Amino acid sequence: MTRYLARRLLEAVPLLILISVAVFFLINIIPGGPTAAYENNPHLTPQDLARIERELGLNQPIYVRYVRWLGAVAHGDWGYSLASRRPVLVEIGERLPNTIYLLGVAFAVTLALGIPIGMLSALRQYSLFDHTSTTLAFMGQSVPIFWFGLILIIVFHVSLRNPLTGLPLLPGGGMYTLGEPFSVWDRVSHLILPVSMLTLATAAQYVRYMRASMLEVVHQDYIRTARAKGAGGRRVVWRHAFKNAALPLVTVIALDLPTLFSGALFTETIFSWPGMGRLFYDSALRFDYALLMGIIMVNAALIILSNLAADVVYGCLDPRIRYV
Amino acid sequence: MRRRGVPAIGWLVVAILIGLLTLPAASQQPPRRGGTVTMALYQEPELLNPYMATQTASFEVITMVVEGLLANDEKGGYVPQLATEVPSRANGGVSQDGKTITYHLRSGLRWSDGRPLTCDDVKFTWQAIVTPKSGAISTTGYDQIQAVDCPTPQTVVVRYKTFYAPFLSRFRWILPRHATGDPANMTRWDYNRRPLGSGPFRLTEWASGDHITLVRNDNYRIKGQPYLDRVIIRIVPSREVGKQLIKTGDVDIVWDLIESDVPELRGVPGIKISAPPGPGAERLVLNLADPSLDGPSPEMVKQHPHPILGDPRVREAIELGINKREITSKLLFGLATVGTNELHIGWARCVTPPSSYNPPKARRLLEEAGWVPGPDGIRVAKGARYAKDGTRLRLKLQTTTGNKLREQAEQLIIEYMRAIGLEFYIENVPSAVLFGSWASGAFRKHGHFDVLMYTTNPDADPHAQVEGYFASWNMPTADNAGRGFNYARYASDRVDADIKKAGSVPDLDLRRAAYCDAMKQIVSDRPHIYLYDRATMNGYRERLQGWVANVWENVGWNAQSWWVSR
Repeated sequence: MTRYLARRLLEAVPLLILISVAVFFLINIIPGGPTAAYENNPHLTPQDLARIERELGLNQPIYVRYVRWLGAVAHGDWGYSLASRRPVLVEIGERLPNTIYLLGVAFAVTLALGIPIGMLSALRQYSLFDHTSTTLAFMGQSVPIFWFGLILIIVFHVSLRNPLTGLPLLPGGGMYTLGEPFSVWDRVSHLILPVSMLTLATAAQYVRYMRASMLEVVHQDYIRTARAKGAGGRRVVWRHAFKNAALPLVTVIALDLPTLFSGALFTETIFSWPGMGRLFYDSALRFDYALLMGIIMVNAALIILSNLAADVVYGCLDPRIRYV
Repeated sequence: MRRRGVPAIGWLVVAILIGLLTLPAASQQPPRRGGTVTMALYQEPELLNPYMATQTASFEVITMVVEGLLANDEKGGYVPQLATEVPSRANGGVSQDGKTITYHLRSGLRWSDGRPLTCDDVKFTWQAIVTPKSGAISTTGYDQIQAVDCPTPQTVVVRYKTFYAPFLSRFRWILPRHATGDPANMTRWDYNRRPLGSGPFRLTEWASGDHITLVRNDNYRIKGQPYLDRVIIRIVPSREVGKQLIKTGDVDIVWDLIESDVPELRGVPGIKISAPPGPGAERLVLNLADPSLDGPSPEMVKQHPHPILGDPRVREAIELGINKREITSKLLFGLATVGTNELHIGWARCVTPPSSYNPPKARRLLEEAGWVPGPDGIRVAKGARYAKDGTRLRLKLQTTTGNKLREQAEQLIIEYMRAIGLEFYIENVPSAVLFGSWASGAFRKHGHFDVLMYTTNPDADPHAQVEGYFASWNMPTADNAGRGFNYARYASDRVDADIKKAGSVPDLDLRRAAYCDAMKQIVSDRPHIYLYDRATMNGYRERLQGWVANVWENVGWNAQSWWVSR
């Protein structure tokens, strides 16, 4: 197992370097650049522009810049944002907790809803519950989530009012009410709408996965055998059926984990959430190469790691799989 | 019943009378102290050092925290901020040769941390900007300064090496020596994120991507002001979100609206829109040189004019063929004014009559210029001045992609031009491509275009704009490494002389006269055709009082006078 892990991690290094080359060159061939915003400023002489480019190191050939970037990253230096001039890790560090907070809650709610509903739906196949949940899941997956977010705002923030105060029923954006002292309800109320928006599509997806794999499992012989041996209904469902049915879901969940880092651009934009998705979008608009590279590379590493994690968890859940 | 009804109506009348009497009184009540105002910004400032920031959003925050020696009022004129008066020859602030400027600082000035603000800070500001590798974005003007002397802590003497006409626009922001750091390290200053100034508010918190909190500066130079306790800058992801928030009352100010936002907000009770005409003018830039040449010099332009646009009669026909009034009323909801010339507002304002919409005359001009109607209605050359016979009257029109307003305007212009027998075809590009640098090979810089459409605007001091766009020495060429904005490659001895004159005297009246003379020549030569002047639009909740729209400064330029009613 250790050897397997070490080999996989070692394999990840050339892969990451390959990704960094591709990304670095791709973002640099986009027309424009960090100084494009200055071109229309009548106060800036070409000498000013040349000086700024020199100071930012943009006058170097692209391969020189790449090698310098790689060398710095190898020493743990991710560089400075070209716009705010602050260290890339500081910029990321400020936004990351907000994104983990929002997406973590949404992820927990998604699992808490998706898995039990999917299981119940499979166990009571063709019941009213099953029909209702599969229909809803189908709708949830089909609804464009940015549209759903806007509808949530119109209904719960614009139309519906708190009968006691006359204020909007739920806040339509932000993480907390500005200028108010901390309160748990204030935090929770700001979470409700964005979490609902995030949960809808993903939970629907999990319901469908869970239901399908559970259905496959409950008709297997060993389940019948377990029942024949007199195992109780709950024991059969959890010990025998769920453990096997959850296997395909592990991969799906593991691949969703990196979104905890990368954030959710639509949700963050609609609900003014100061998270990673917007940081990435803003830095792309500003041609903030250093920050873009930082975010993309950490994201790439996380995707590789969560794939590895999925494989490892697979091994734990399914003893037939052996890693060498 | 009847007996009871009459007094009830009587009371109602009394109540209405009281209401009517108190109404005017209510609107003239004295400013109330206290309260919080929230402003929505749809861009996050990159940093708040006024000499390193590039986005307008950054200056929206800076302007409430940092002050300068002078500022601009709503008419574009200069008003003293930290200085006691605007230096001029009359008050002895400007020397005879115009190279030595003396400012007197107000007495008792303090930074928001209580430390005194003196001439030494002004001197430091200059040093920080011109220190090599400091990271200051622009050193224009400051690099012309020989020295900043401080004969007393309240007297600032700025000595320029050569006369610098827009000297009043310099030192718009003063940096504190004690709260910044080594100029060579400017990009790493903590100040960049936590600026300390002498303005009405001081910054206490910046939650990245969410909000910036400004609280009252108790050391502010005007006693009893600011009235507000706090201003919160709420960073929202888009203008759309900002519009929602002002509708629901979550924010009091929404920054930087565009014309198409206004119909939606106009009818909403409790919201006021300010839409004064701004300095930005949407225009067509016509290339007077042969577009196949690469960055031609003035001499080459003279020998190789644009085959179609080189003839002034064609340029006049284009302007007369465009129904500018229809564009402003149809596409801009009447919120823009018909364009006239570069200096349509500000202290250097020059009044020229807007062009008339006259397609018959436009056709006649094209006829005279040797362009006769072809089989499909589009004209072809027959004895034209620069074009070979048989050349089709066809021009490329380019603007930025993804801008609905511009795309609609292009459609109208194509229609207008077809009506006079001229074919325009569209080839739009992303703004980064259109506005690219000489080094990146941008076609605008290198002169490979027929007609461009975009907005640009002069600052409160118009010199950089007028000289940059219309002086013959500002055509971007390989020899000057692409300097200047004279993309039309326009050359006029009269305009050159006017610009030189305006750039060599400190007296604003003389400068205004010189600029206006240049404008008249430019309007008749038409290197640019001014389509419309855009309004600067912001939305305010009615509870916010005391704001004054000022297109030359940022929204919070008079935030010290803001207060909230109720």
